[in-house]
Amino acid sequence: MGFTEVYDYVAGILDWLAAGGPIEGTSAGQPRAGDVARGDVPTCGLDERLGEVAARAHAAGWDACVVVNQERVVLGLLRAKELDGDPGSRIEAAMRPGPSTFRPHVPVAELAHYLVDHDVENAPITTSDGRLVGLLLRDDALRAAHGHHQAEGDAT
Amino acid sequence: MPREIDREGVRRLAGQGAQLVDVLPAHEYREEHLPGAVSLPLRKLEEQATDVLDRHRAVVVYCWDSA
Amino acid sequence: MTQAAPVVDCAACGKAIDGCELCERPDCPTAICYRCLSVALRQASPDLHDHGG
Repeated sequence: MGFTEVYDYVAGILDWLAAGGPIEGTSAGQPRAGDVARGDVPTCGLDERLGEVAARAHAAGWDACVVVNQERVVLGLLRAKELDGDPGSRIEAAMRPGPSTFRPHVPVAELAHYLVDHDVENAPITTSDGRLVGLLLRDDALRAAHGHHQAEGDAT
Repeated sequence: MPREIDREGVRRLAGQGAQLVDVLPAHEYREEHLPGAVSLPLRKLEEQATDVLDRHRAVVVYCWDSA
Repeated sequence: MTQAAPVVDCAACGKAIDGCELCERPDCPTAICYRCLSVALRQASPDLHDHGG
């Protein structure tokens, strides 16, 4: 075709989005999961005891805790039901292993829709190599989506 | 044969005036694309490239990912 | 250790899965597999043949 200098960005737009690169288009400017997820969610390790972890989470005002390893890679999740389990049990036995995780660039409105439809209270947001960014709460996601929708409506 | 580049390479070349080409379907392009990219869906690339692009400038094509 | 037998079909692609990837319920009426969920949320690319790129 006569083009002498042609490059292929093999990793593509998913790589660009994952790195938080600027975007143009109709979805530019809408809130993303990484913007809304709470980075201060309590975390714990596999070998800890549920009672101590639950006490720490509740004292911080949370009813959830994310199980991570030393590199902050997500291994499991403790929601309210799991935190209410046997206090003497190890976290590895009490947790929900391998929860579905979502990337920071996912539009929060779309994720909120799924969280509502499936009655899920929260979802871990991680980098593509599984490191915890934060816990996205369904209520926060809905507020962010609604706020953006209103702002768009005001602008038109 | 296109040369593979990474994200930093894209930034560098875009800064030097390279033409970014999004080969995804038009509706995907409309939702989100790299700043300044033009839409040339893959099925139309060969047919329209010479009409839309400046052959004297570098071209960077991209898709979703390497899949 | 035996794997759980698939009990529900992904509502998007029809693949047999052992529970909804999002809510983990085996009786979820709109159960979805992780691949379809990831594609829907634009954190994974659709199949190659969909766009040829």
